Amino acid sequence: MNLSHFVALTIFALIVSTVFALITKNEPKEQFRYGVFVFLSFVAVAFAVGWLMYPLPL
Amino acid sequence: MEQTNEHLESTVSTEPAELRRINMPATLAICFAGWLIPGLSHILIGRWIRGLIFAACVIVMFVLGLGMHGKLYDLNVEEPLQLLGFIANLGAGLPYFIAERMGLGVGAQTAQGYDYGTTYLWVCGLLNFLIVLDAFDIAQGRKP
Repeated sequence: MNLSHFVALTIFALIVSTVFALITKNEPKEQFRYGVFVFLSFVAVAFAVGWLMYPLPL
Repeated sequence: MEQTNEHLESTVSTEPAELRRINMPATLAICFAGWLIPGLSHILIGRWIRGLIFAACVIVMFVLGLGMHGKLYDLNVEEPLQLLGFIANLGAGLPYFIAERMGLGVGAQTAQGYDYGTTYLWVCGLLNFLIVLDAFDIAQGRKP
């Protein structure tokens, strides 16, 4: 199975944010909000770190 | 007037409703079941939907990890750092033992998804530990 980096990190973020939201919050509305926040944070940080590392010679 | 206020304060309590508490041996048995089969602890407590979502998350992550040629670590005392990977993998419970038995999770380092796959396998085990702890708290009446 060959998933692209972006798809792999998106699935990872989706699953982890779902579990975090269900564990840390009790009300469905809070769970949804927190889950979306964690998911977007994962993706945004991945993009930010990716662009920060882009100029580095690896 | 003061008496009325006191009466109101005593009847309108701001304390949350008393949470149901399960005895410790039963709680530990539920947690063991939840570790072995992801999500089962919440199902046994009566949180069906939450349990099924947890089960789906952990199992999908585990299967994807194996599909991406991730590595499953076994107990290897010669490499102490690998012990951390082993503990993380062990968190997945029964799926880990089944995959080990079937010879899966060898880990192809040349595969494109090797790093992601290995991380998926670690994280699904660690998430299952968190899920079991959540079930423990619920069973002990510490959270609704």
